[in-house]
Amino acid sequence: MAPKLRISHLGKRFNELHALLDINLDVERGEFISVVGPSGCGKTTFLRIIAGLEPASSGEVLLDGRAVHGPGGDRGFVFQNDSLLPWRTVFANAIIGREVAGQVGAAERQRTMELLKLVGLEGFENYHPRQLSGGMRQRVNLARALAIDPEILLMDEPFSSLDAQTREIMQTELMRIWEEGRKTVLFVTHQIDEAVFLSDRVLVFARRPGRLLESVVIELPRPRALAIKRTAEFVRYVDHIWRLIEDDVRASVIEEKV
Amino acid sequence: MSGVEGIEVERAAQPQVHRRLPRFYFAGLLSVLGGLLLWELVSRFLVANTLFLAAPSQIFTAIMALARSGELWRHMSVSAIEFALGYVIASVLGVIIGFAMAESPTAKRALQPWISGLYATPTIALAPLFILWLGIGIWSKVLVVIFLVLFPVTINTEAGLRTTSERLIEMLRSFGATPRQIFFKVSLPSAVPFILAGLKLGIGRGLIGVVVAELFGSRAGLGRLIAQSADAFNMPELFAGVVVLAVAGIVLTAGFGWIEKRLVPWTKD
Repeated sequence: MAPKLRISHLGKRFNELHALLDINLDVERGEFISVVGPSGCGKTTFLRIIAGLEPASSGEVLLDGRAVHGPGGDRGFVFQNDSLLPWRTVFANAIIGREVAGQVGAAERQRTMELLKLVGLEGFENYHPRQLSGGMRQRVNLARALAIDPEILLMDEPFSSLDAQTREIMQTELMRIWEEGRKTVLFVTHQIDEAVFLSDRVLVFARRPGRLLESVVIELPRPRALAIKRTAEFVRYVDHIWRLIEDDVRASVIEEKV
Repeated sequence: MSGVEGIEVERAAQPQVHRRLPRFYFAGLLSVLGGLLLWELVSRFLVANTLFLAAPSQIFTAIMALARSGELWRHMSVSAIEFALGYVIASVLGVIIGFAMAESPTAKRALQPWISGLYATPTIALAPLFILWLGIGIWSKVLVVIFLVLFPVTINTEAGLRTTSERLIEMLRSFGATPRQIFFKVSLPSAVPFILAGLKLGIGRGLIGVVVAELFGSRAGLGRLIAQSADAFNMPELFAGVVVLAVAGIVLTAGFGWIEKRLVPWTKD
């Protein structure tokens, strides 16, 4: 079977800087893939190119065999910052993707209500974003991306602004939601344990130039509970990935200080 | 939902109670009544000359007398019509010009020097010229009001559309939204608070414009009332005109605040 997503010889340059260099990747339908790496390794740029929010300098992105040239309703993007419209209710925010596509019939409204229930926001449909906590806002962000029923879900560090406890809750929530539909997911994060916990495969990126260093297959049984993070196997995966990027991370931290 | 996040939810969902509101009103009322009392005492016993300072009670009597004779309504209605015409015309024009400037760089470059120049100019000083052109009827005052209200509305509309959050635009773009959809679903709603702020600024400027233009030459209006009272050294009546204007300003601004709270509740937190 053809891969859901095929990325071949993808490159991105900002003037002299190689943000991404020759990335090749096949993603199967229903796979949950995380991308980790130090700051400046181009992981967010990588995701934005797949979303069509930024053009590639070379190579191509094929979704179901079709080349990606711009944003489209076949990809749902979950933003790092929730990007909710403050004047819209939770429901009106969640359905905006459908609205843009001109599809706001009874079926879509029904589906959006179901998704809000799935992400744990039943009863909050008529609230405004300012009335919600950070975790709840990210739930709306997720429901909004799911509401267009995308072929692939692109998530850009969606839990990075949450506190540690809420973050863990959201990880298990995301797993629960993902088990329901088994969408193909590309998840960018800078937390290695988050990547290992969620993924079938973790792509480790390196910087200068931004490139794919290693693809680590995570063979932990599903469904996974938070307790799995304390098992020896889990820790081995985390250590392995950490060693891959350790030098790069140190270099990037020193640079940020300077 | 359960656990840590559940607690967070309950806190976030609680309606906010304004327990301090009555007390706040009480302090305001006390301050106003105290001020009026002081004014009354000073003007009666310290100044003791109506020509220099009319007492609140005398002003109130003057307002009642003007109201009974119908004079007050005649002046008020003329000023109100001048203000309303100028304000509405300026608001519509201001929003349109603001849109044009936000959407077209050429329009912005062409209009910006005029907007900046005229906004900073005390155009009210041109009122005598407008009276010369348009006569002492209402239209010269309407023009003054337009000049005073147009610029804050234009500038705020343009700024509001220009400062739309890039993040929100990008969010909509990720769903494949057209520029038109981005304008109506993001730029326009996020500019509304700015436009309303410009319109609110316009109220005070417009009211001043009406009165000052009337002072320069008119047949009726609150400015006319003030001018003729000054000529006759009838200070209670002069104050009556000023007080009616102040009340109009307060009522219009408060009414506007009420509309704002309903139209753009997300800015009031």
